Amino acid sequence: MTTLAKAAHAVGAIQELEGGRTPLNAFLAVAHPESLVVANPEGLLAGIPLAVKDNLATTGFDTTCGSKVLEGYRSPYESTVVRRAKAAGAVVVGKTNLDEFAMGSSTENSAYGPTLNPHDRSRVPGGSSGGSAAAVAAGLVPMALGSDTGGSVRQPAAFCGIVGIKPTYGRVSRYGLVAYASSLDQVGTLGRTVTDAARLLQVVSGYDERDATSDERPVPDLLGAVDQGVEGLVVGVPDEYLPDGLDPALRVLVNTALGELEEAGAQIRRVSLPHTRYAIPCYYVLAPAEASSNLSRYDGVRYGVRCAEADLISMYQATRSQGLGIEVKRRIMLGTYALSAGYYDEYYGTAQRARRMITEDFRSVFDDGVDVLFTPTSPTPAFKIGERMDDPIEMYLSDVFTVTANLAGIPGISVPIGSIRGLPVGGQVLAPWWQEDRMLAIAGVLETRLQGAEV
Amino acid sequence: MSVGREHAERIAVLARLHFGAEELDRLTEELNHILQHVEALKNLEDGPAAVHSEEGAPQAWQRGSTRGSEAEVPDTLDQGLNEVGPDWAEGFFVVPPLPGIHKDEGA
Repeated sequence: MTTLAKAAHAVGAIQELEGGRTPLNAFLAVAHPESLVVANPEGLLAGIPLAVKDNLATTGFDTTCGSKVLEGYRSPYESTVVRRAKAAGAVVVGKTNLDEFAMGSSTENSAYGPTLNPHDRSRVPGGSSGGSAAAVAAGLVPMALGSDTGGSVRQPAAFCGIVGIKPTYGRVSRYGLVAYASSLDQVGTLGRTVTDAARLLQVVSGYDERDATSDERPVPDLLGAVDQGVEGLVVGVPDEYLPDGLDPALRVLVNTALGELEEAGAQIRRVSLPHTRYAIPCYYVLAPAEASSNLSRYDGVRYGVRCAEADLISMYQATRSQGLGIEVKRRIMLGTYALSAGYYDEYYGTAQRARRMITEDFRSVFDDGVDVLFTPTSPTPAFKIGERMDDPIEMYLSDVFTVTANLAGIPGISVPIGSIRGLPVGGQVLAPWWQEDRMLAIAGVLETRLQGAEV
Repeated sequence: MSVGREHAERIAVLARLHFGAEELDRLTEELNHILQHVEALKNLEDGPAAVHSEEGAPQAWQRGSTRGSEAEVPDTLDQGLNEVGPDWAEGFFVVPPLPGIHKDEGA
């Protein structure tokens, strides 16, 4: 099969599944077979079909962010990650579904309908990069790009039984990633295997002068790290991520994974991250606060749809009220409240202090000789569609083990560690800032040793 | 801290959003439910207010761009124009010499 034929085959498979009787609704746009081009036949991703989350700007497809307010919006420029992937030979075969503006944990908040989990179509694929995760899990593409603001790559990867990486904040350019919460947003990669996800990360990582938060440090050999082994590495297991109420079946899988790491030469050590309990409250002040500011631009003037009204303010209100979905409006309201005069110190200031303490927790354990941390990625496997839509807190708690990495800016990876009652679950490896290679070494060992674990 | 319906209406105006009566009632209830959860932050012991990490944090933070609640912003109107404007000599703006041209060589 030629390099281009692989991508053409992927497009055909996507069209067949999504246009068939049981679509996953993983894609919002699919490439026309005649438009496919391999820009670099010798590159690290030559001819590889790539799916891209629809909050990453692309010139060849609309970028809707899963929102009505950006329906039909075509970006005049390409995001750096897509540009780099194409330059390495990848072929973008489509844009994937997501929770509107990446706000959600189930991909049910998309204005274009929910994505279904390929392992059980009555369940969610996780979110917000649920379309990307479902596309990879269904075998439609080998790898995909997503974004992770509070766990939006790692949690859907866990729910769909694939690998998802959130790199260190600053490792990958955010240029062209539509902003949700800028101090937390990071582009991530999803793949069928640790090597696939690492390969894509290797290509998209590195300094970009167009993103002021992108870092100049050299990118290590991420692909080579996957086979490095774990001999002598100290793996910390934080008590706070294995609470008493945790599903016993999940605890068994976590313990099995730790046993395998120990057998492979790692040392296991119990540690504590005492401020973890503040992570969700902290996140749900800071992220909505940043969102309320970032999303103020969707007012009908510059982007997407506009609702005609008698005066300017009414036009803003009508456009935003009709164009944005309920979860986005809820977070904008929450953020506007947290930033408003009289409440700023009480909410935003306190949440910033909590963020600092959560970061210091990580620094303290890493300074104490722990090389990486191991936790479950999410407290449960994929839940039923609609099950958590009426209770925002219950939905937010599915990110309880992932948000801390975004608050601290450290890298994390979710790797399959088995399944519970037929549903995949993930284990999360967290590493110190800029140590993605260490994290990949652990994930590589887990992947090799845990094929098919089930409880 | 809880949000009343009137307060929620004011926040909606600030956020340039409009809600019907029923929707606003539901949203007010949900906001209070979320804020109740956020109240856990009040148990946080004293600590530094802002994130200024030396390692691994976004570079923008390292440059001290995080807004503090009492951040001092210099008021440019308090400064004379001479202090903020470009250098001025003999009726012309002073510009750096062109490459290869030294001051003592003259024009």
